[in-house]
This record gives sequence, structure tokens and C-alpha cells, in this order.
Amino acid sequence: MLMNRCFLFLTATGLIAAASAQTSPPSGANPFTQHVAPMLTKRCSGCHNGQLASGGLNILPFRDPKSIREEREAWEKIVRQVRGGEMPPNGAPRPAQTERETFLKQVEEAFERDDRSRKADPGRVTARRLNRSEYSNTIRDLLGVEFRADRTFPTDDSGEGFDNIADVLTISPLLMEKYLTAAERIATRAMGLEKLPKPMESSYSIRSLLSGSPQGGGRGTIRRINVGTIEVTHRFEFDGEYQFRIGLPGERGAQAKPVKMNIWLDGQLVESRMVETKPSGLVYFDPFSEEQVKLTVGEGDRVLRIAFVEDEFLTALPEKDYFNRRKNKFPDTVMVVGPFAGTGERASRKSILRCDPKTGPACVEKIVSTLARRAYRRPVTAAETASLVRFVNEARRKGHSAEYGIRTALVAMLVSPHFLFRIERDDPRDPTKVHRISDIELASRLSYFLWRSMPDEELLGLAEAGKLRDKTVLRAQVKRLIDDPRSSALADDFAGQWLELRNLDTVKPDPDRFLYWGPDLRAAMKTETQLFFDHILRNNRTLAEFLDARYTFLNEKLAWFYGIDGVKGPEFRKVDLATDQRGGLLGQASILTISSYPSRTSVVIRGKYILQNILGTPPAPPPPDVPSLEEEAVGTSASLRQQMEKHRANPVCASCHAKMDALGFGLENYDAIGKWRSKDGKFPVDASGTLPDGRNFTGPSQLKSALLAELPDFAQNMVEKMMIYALGRGLGGYDRIVVKDITRRLATSNYPFQSIIYEVVESLPFQSRRGELLSKQDKPVETAQR
Amino acid sequence: MITRKSLSRRTLLRGAGAAVALPFLDAMVPALAASGPKKAPVRMAIVYVPNGIMMDGWNPDYEGKLEALPRILKPLEAHKNDILQIGNLTHNTGRALLDGAGDHGRCSGSYLTGVQVKKTLVDIKASVSCDQLVANEVGKHTRLASLEIGLEDARQAGDCDSGYSCAYTNNLAWRSETQPLPPILDPRALFERLFGDGTLLSPEARKAQAAERRSILDFVRGDTQKLKSDLGPTDRRKLDEYLSSIREVERQMEKAASDNQQIDPKMDKPYGVPADFAEHFRLMTDMVTIAFQADLTRVLTFLVTREGTSRAYREIGIPDGHHPLTHHMGKVELMEKVRQINEYHTAQFAAWLTKLKSIQEGDSTLLDNSMIVYGAGLSDGNRHTHEDLPTLIAGRGGKYFTTGRRIVCRRETPMCNLFLTMMDRMGLQMEHFGDATGRLDGLDLS
Repeated sequence: MLMNRCFLFLTATGLIAAASAQTSPPSGANPFTQHVAPMLTKRCSGCHNGQLASGGLNILPFRDPKSIREEREAWEKIVRQVRGGEMPPNGAPRPAQTERETFLKQVEEAFERDDRSRKADPGRVTARRLNRSEYSNTIRDLLGVEFRADRTFPTDDSGEGFDNIADVLTISPLLMEKYLTAAERIATRAMGLEKLPKPMESSYSIRSLLSGSPQGGGRGTIRRINVGTIEVTHRFEFDGEYQFRIGLPGERGAQAKPVKMNIWLDGQLVESRMVETKPSGLVYFDPFSEEQVKLTVGEGDRVLRIAFVEDEFLTALPEKDYFNRRKNKFPDTVMVVGPFAGTGERASRKSILRCDPKTGPACVEKIVSTLARRAYRRPVTAAETASLVRFVNEARRKGHSAEYGIRTALVAMLVSPHFLFRIERDDPRDPTKVHRISDIELASRLSYFLWRSMPDEELLGLAEAGKLRDKTVLRAQVKRLIDDPRSSALADDFAGQWLELRNLDTVKPDPDRFLYWGPDLRAAMKTETQLFFDHILRNNRTLAEFLDARYTFLNEKLAWFYGIDGVKGPEFRKVDLATDQRGGLLGQASILTISSYPSRTSVVIRGKYILQNILGTPPAPPPPDVPSLEEEAVGTSASLRQQMEKHRANPVCASCHAKMDALGFGLENYDAIGKWRSKDGKFPVDASGTLPDGRNFTGPSQLKSALLAELPDFAQNMVEKMMIYALGRGLGGYDRIVVKDITRRLATSNYPFQSIIYEVVESLPFQSRRGELLSKQDKPVETAQR
Repeated sequence: MITRKSLSRRTLLRGAGAAVALPFLDAMVPALAASGPKKAPVRMAIVYVPNGIMMDGWNPDYEGKLEALPRILKPLEAHKNDILQIGNLTHNTGRALLDGAGDHGRCSGSYLTGVQVKKTLVDIKASVSCDQLVANEVGKHTRLASLEIGLEDARQAGDCDSGYSCAYTNNLAWRSETQPLPPILDPRALFERLFGDGTLLSPEARKAQAAERRSILDFVRGDTQKLKSDLGPTDRRKLDEYLSSIREVERQMEKAASDNQQIDPKMDKPYGVPADFAEHFRLMTDMVTIAFQADLTRVLTFLVTREGTSRAYREIGIPDGHHPLTHHMGKVELMEKVRQINEYHTAQFAAWLTKLKSIQEGDSTLLDNSMIVYGAGLSDGNRHTHEDLPTLIAGRGGKYFTTGRRIVCRRETPMCNLFLTMMDRMGLQMEHFGDATGRLDGLDLS
């Protein structure tokens, strides 16, 4: 309504304003008053004036150059709207391309002048509690114990899209309880003091599953993937050795060759052997053989997959005979027996007990101080060691072994704030001032950025020796950390959150509509994107490949789903793409699935996804009390496009949806789980769109080309996200100049991925910290007391 | 499908299957009941469902005694005399009030805190929630001051609602203005919190474990105090949270020691999160029932699913997400699906009430001695309205509420008035809470 009324005004007032702008000559040579202010008067004040204030904005005060400093946030919004072509809106006279560009350039320069005139500020990160993945990784690297914090601790809250933001990571009594019991369990396991119960057996059988036999123990599940593959999920209550008895019913002909049987534990190939398939010669009513394998398994839910691979016999076997026990042999049952005490001393125990604690206090002290230094990720004082050694003495006084006492000291370390938090100190001489963080603090910043884990010996050693600030040393360490397998944390945690990949674990596409959907496909989708990200990272490829690449990572399942021939087997590999149907993040089923509804695609969600996660220009939220737009009846009574055009007739919606929906339409060739399609319901897919700046495109391939032109925006978005993730805090105004400078330098070398990491590490906010004024007035906020 | 032959089983893990029905044997009621006739305590619970409720299926068209129940309340037919349906309660702080979009984030954050929460993605700020004010008092008498549970995992990635941190939608209870309390989602984790890790220790072993834990907590507390002294205020606040959580764990341990009672819930430790919604709901409320019965806690908040959730309910043949459905734009078939989801939720709630009612406490039942709010932070999920919030109380809170009725308050009566009244019942005499303007009259007719 308002907008329509405004359009009527526009011609008249616009002309008057334009006329008046011409009569008042620009004052001085200030480029702002010369180029920016007149455009505001001419192009904007028709609606955004004192009386109408369309969208709640009166533009007139913005003609004052001081507004750049004072109204920065509002200014940023104006720039976004103009750059995105959303303002001036359709129907109003449009500024010429050059006029628009001059305007934007001048404002950007004014922004930068203002930013550079301010004092450099590295910002301040609050003491960071380890989040769940950091906790698990740190325990793994500290003690060699596998611990799934995500299954044990309550979910970490997130802010700015990441779950490592110091301000929102709190400690509740519930979490404290969990910390205490987890520490006891972990320390006991690390010291090899866990008492194993007598072995138990659990058996899983596809056959009894099919015959509807009642569920027995109910502690796991079995399912058949295909004729030669079964998968068991089982909860292992204890670390230990387990025996697996794999039942293979049936037999093949007398001439049948052995077949290769592979076993994967949580996706890792742990066993591969040849299995006899011809009749055994023994008399069975029902032919059957068994294979046994012993594996060391850590506590937790594990997935065991057993498959006959490269099984040529099947190609000649008619499908009706797959489960005919006289004609075929196939895996069918799994019995898990255990736990058995592992052979040999636990590696973790060995590394902790670097001498025999029975030999006396010197050894105990050595063991405890070594552990504490690693657990606290810094040198420890003699007093700290002494206070921990007291636990050992106390244990002995009570008649326990010294080893048990060391276990107790370890429990204490694991619930100590020195372990649970990453705490950085202000400069004791002047806690108010900006200071470079210490080398030790820098070592943890580095390792938690790139590994989500504690610094290793080399890194901590260099920090202790004060060598980490040497530029060559620092770069070499960053390189080493990136090359280490632990940097896959970036694909899991950074990409998992930046690209919202984690949501793939919880999406539930409608199985009635998407018959291909299943756990394997879900896992394959996630793996593709993770490997793709990891590839670009490790090979230092350009960021442009995220937007478009002629390769991807596939296994047989996903290749089949994409309609790509020639990929056999469950292993992922790099595959060069012959067509432009796929390639780049936006052609990946993972991303297309998480940006859809369970039962259909949504151009709105996909468009928003691109704006928010790819271009870093999230659309403004809908105004209050206007419910989000819904697409219905798609493919039944009207095409999606007709439905969407309808709501865009509403000007309030149109300003954002024009762009969101257009981008989303470009991906309409992919259904709600990312499968290629040319029809939606009974309507042909129309994947064409027009961006607000007038560029047309048809289909995903052209959409990608359009996005490639926005590579600088994409890169800046990546830099911002990477900074948030690296620092564990949201970005402030003082970080803008840092982001801008990094993005600019990246452009000169065509945006190689690793450069972002080096740049972030070398940046002021990563290297320094603002002090926090300590005065009598600054009393800490009291938390509820009980 | 699975057979499990025990070569040897740990002592506690007995009974067939992970999800056995709970035998409510008198024998399992712990020291409290055994120590002689004592007046049963009042338990307070809040059960929150998201995305509003189809009000045409919620509000009866009459006041007074509950007769024919509207569609969504139908599953509560058997409990008609145990509920009090309240009309016209409003949460003004859920409204925009110049903060723009984000009704879902806002209404969830303000529901129990009664304040307009700070619109931010990072430096979250609300207020101490009413359940926590109660827990600070009555929690002194129980092992766990309060219990927070839910059925849906926090959103893992992306934003939650228009500039509101996910902390507002992931949590209902707030222990301080910056510290939300995360709900437990996994039945196994809830089991461990209530009953320990499933191994029954001898009294001596338990005593030794408690002594060791106390010495460890003493140690880290001392360490933290030292550390705190040379940190800035924001870092100190983090460590204060840590210290206050340590104190709470110590208090729990002291309480457990003085109870001198280890509760055997007579059920297997659950395996994990059931895929089936009703099963998950039942398992969690079964354990809460034991916790109430054994007086392990008297305060519960239950975030059924998150505000803005897009959970689909395939269990009842609804493949579309809950939140998208609630923006039905008047479409008949979509509105019908929302009603089905609402009804499905009340049916699960009704099953819990049945269980609570089956437990005798002296001359009344556990349900009689409870007051359980069931409600939502929005009424019309399509238009995001914050007035006439769907609200009912189940149970009489001791002999306090006269149930079996619908009462309709004056329009725009603050929801906080109800909470203030409930806090009275829990023995707190608060002068103010949130935007309350007074107590709620007419709940008690006797």
C-alpha cells in the first residue's frame, strides 16, 4: 500500500528534489557531498523523506558526511539495498549503471576512510569453554581415549552460526555433573583401571528380522543394504576386544570361486579376506558357514558393515535366486561377543606412566607435572604440581595404589577450569591496554582453530621457547597444522556449520515421495561435500571452485543417484564431470536437501541459503506479524512459479523476495533431495530467473556463472565466517578493516583457500587482545545462588 | 530380530527389552515415604509446545464446568476433572515492541522469564525464569533442584529466528540472565542423571566415591578462586557460572548422602533416543514420574519441541514440517494437519497424566499434588499472536486449584500473573515477577 502510494509521489517529488539538488552547488571538493548526497536527494528522498519515511527510513539526515560515522549500520543497509538492485525499486526511475557504481564506490571509500581513522582494535574474546567437539578431540589427543562428548553432554548453544562462541557457551549444573562423571570414566580408562564385566553376546539376524521374531535385547539394529551387504549398529559399553562371528548362510556351485569379504567399522576398512563359497562338504539341512574376526573397539555406538565386494558371481545370478540358499551365499547374521581384555597394555597408560610410580615421589611428580602441562596446555608451576600430587599421597594413605592416585589427580585436572576453559590473561602491568597475546596462548589459538584440539608437543614446545612469533616459524607451523589429518576438523566443524551440513543429520525427507532417500544416501551426500571442502583446502585451490568446479567426489551410490556412469564400489574418489549438471556446492545433493522442505523444494529457502551462506548478504527478516511466505499446492493446481509470482505482487514482500526467489528458481532443476528433474509434478521445470540487477539466467549452470561474478562477495563472506570461527566471537565494527584488507589481498592471487588461513592467523585480532578495564565499579554479575 | 543371551549381566540390567513398562511398586519409594507419614510435596511443571495451537480446537465456547471438550482437548477427556483451562492470558513481552521480526525466538525466550529478551546472536540476555526462582527455594529439599527435559535436539547450524540467538529457542529455563539451562533429550542421559550410571554400589563404595568427589571439587574451587582474582569482569562471570554449578553439584551430593538412599528405578537403562515420538515422550515422562514420586525433584520444565521447529510427524502420517504447516494461510487441509499435530501432543500429555494419577500419595494422587502447566508461547501460529495463549493447568497443586473448569480472564491479563500465583503455591512470596500485575483470581473455589 505504502509503496504504491509512494510511486505516485515519486515522479513529482523526485523531479523537484532533483531540481533543488542542482541549484545548490556542491560545497568544497568532498567526494561525499559531490557524489553521494545528491543521489540520495534525487533517487531516494521521494519516498524516504520526513513525511513518508518508507520502510521507516528518512534519508535526509544521511546527506551529512558525519552520518557515515554516526549511522554506520543504517548506511550499510542502504548500500546493500542499492548494490543488490533492490533500491530504488522496480517501477521507480532507475539510476544508470555508472551513477550507481559511482555512488557505491564513494560510499565504500567513505566507510573505509572512517574505519581507518579509528584506532586499531583487536577486540576481546571471553574465556572460552571447550565445546563438545573440542572436548572430545582434546581428550583423544591428550590421553588417546575416544570419548563422544556429543552423546554425553548437553548441546552447546551457538551464536553467529557457530558453536564455539565464548559468550554463549555456558556451564549449567547438568554439564558440571557430566564433566565430573566423564572425567572419572576417562581417567579410569586412560589408566587402564577399568574393570571389564564378563563377556556377553548379542546376535543380530536378518532372517529373524524378516520372519518377525520378537525383539530381544534391543540394544542395536541390523539392516540389509543389498544382497551382499549388511550393517549392524551396536552399542559397545566398554573399550576392549570383541569377537565378531559373521554368519554366511547358503552355498554356491561346486566350481564357485572364493569371494572377497570386507568389514568396515564406522566407515573404516578394518578387515578384508577371501571367503569360500562352494559347498563345504559337511551335511547341513541348511548350508551355513561362519567367519570370525577379533577387533579392538572403543566404547560407544558403532556401525559395522560387512560386504562381499567385487562379487562377479552375482552378475550371472538371476535376482530371484539371490536368497536361495542352494544357489547363493550371502552375509546374514552377526554375533558380537565381548568385551575381552585387550592384549598388551593400553597405549595411553604406557604414555602416562613414563616411569614406575612405585619408585617414589620423584617419579610421581614427573608423571603428574607432565600430564598437567599437557592438560592445561601451558607450563605448570611447582606449586600446581604439588597440589595435584596430594591426590596421589591421599590415595596411598587410604591404601590405594599410586596408579589409582594418579587417576584421581587426572580426574581433578579434567574438571579444572584450566582444562575446561581457554583462558587468556590481560597484561598484568596494565590490564586496560591492547596487548599481544602470549606465545602459549597463540599456540592454543592456532591448534583450536585448525584442529579443534590442543597444541601438540612441537607447537607447545616452540611457544615455550618463545619462537612462535618468528614469521617463518609461524607460517611453517600453520602449514604443518593444515597438512595434518587433524585439520579435517575444518571440514567437520567449520564447513558443517557454515554450510549447515550438520542439519543433514536431522532432515527427514518424505519417504513416500523420495523413494531413493535412505541412510546411505544421506551419508554419501555429506561425505561428498566434506571431501570437496577438504580437497579445496588441502590443495589450496581457489575459492571459485566452491561456486563451480568440473569435478566432485562420488561413490557408486551417489554417482548412480546423479546419473553418472562408471563409478563402482563404496569408496569415494575424485570424479571429473562430463556435464554441467553438477559441480560446485550448489550442485551437491547435501546442500540442495538441507535447503528444502521435507516434501518439496522451496525457492525461498534456497534463495535465502545462497544470500546468507554464499554471498554473505542475508535478506532482512520479514517485518513483524507478517508470517513467512508459503508455497503450496505445487504441482497440483498451479506451478510453483505461478504461486510465487502471486506473493511477489505484494511490494512489501517483493523487495526481498525478488532476489531470493530468483536465485532459488535457478536451482529448480533439483528436487528436494537434489535429484535432477525436468518436471515438477505435472509442470515442466522453469529454472529461469532475473536478478535484481537485470541479469537473466536459465538453469543452475548459468546461475553459477552469475554467482561467479560475485566472487569477491563470496570471498569476503568466507573471510568473515573464518574469522568468527577462528576467534570464537562475533565481529565488531573494528574488524571490518581487517576483513576488507584480507579479502583484497586474496583477490590479487585469485583467492587461494589456504591464504585465508594464513591471513587470519597473522591478523591483529588473532594475534592480540584488548584488555578489560578492572575497576571497583566493575563487579561481576552474580549468578543465581543455591 | 535380536536375541541376546547373557553370559553374565550386570546386576541392574534386568528385565526384557530396553523400554519396559515401569512397575510402580511401593517398595521403590525411597526414604522419604518410609520415614513416616509426611505431607506430600507440591510439584510444579511446565510443558511447552511450539508454534501456537489451532485455537478453534482448543477453546470451548463456554465458561465454567468443563463439559464437551473441543477437538484438541479431547484426548484429555478422562482427566476432564483434573484440568483447569484458562483463557485470555497474554505475554506482552513476546510481542515485537520495536524489536522487529522474530516472534518465535522472542516468545520462547520470554515465556518463563517474563521479560523481553535481548535481540542478539551472541551476548544473550533474559532473566531468571520462574521455575528457577522456585528451584532456588524448594530445590533445597531435593537432590536435584530442578529438571529440564525436551524431545528435540537443538538446531545444529544456521540461525534460529530473525536475529535471535538459538539459546532462546533451545531452552526454557534460565538460571541467571545470561545462563540458560539446556534440556536433557536422551532418555539414557536422563536415566543417568536421576539414577546414576546403572551400577548399584555398596554403601561403603558410594561413601568413598563421594569423599573423593568432594576433595576434587574442593581442589578445583580453590584453583578457580585464585584464577578469578586476576581476570576481567566478563571472564570472571564465566568462572562464576562454573563455580555456581560446582556448588550445585556439591549440594546434590550432600543431599544424596543425607538421603542415604540409592534409588533403583526398576527399569533398564534406555538405549538412546527412540525414533518414535510417542515412545520418546513416554520414556521421558516415565522417568520424571519416578523422580517426582521419589522426591528427587519438584520442579520440571519440558520443552516438547523447539519454537519454529520443522519436525515432521510421520508417526501420524504428516510428512510436512510443523512450522511451515502453521503458516497455513487459511488453507483447510493445512489447518487440519496442524490440528492433528496439536491433538497428538495433547494425547501424549494425557497418557502422562494417567500415569501420575495412578500413583497414590496418602489419600490423594501424585497428579493431585502436582500443578502442570501445558501451553504455548503463541496462540495463532499463522499470525504470531501473543494474546489468549493456550493454557491449561493439570493437577490441583495439593488442594489448591478447583479443577474441571474453564475460566476466562479479563483480556490482556499477563501470563506472569499465573506464574506469580503458582510461585505462591510453591511457598515463594514474590512481590514482582516479569510484567505481572497481580495474582490470578478464581483458581480456587473452595
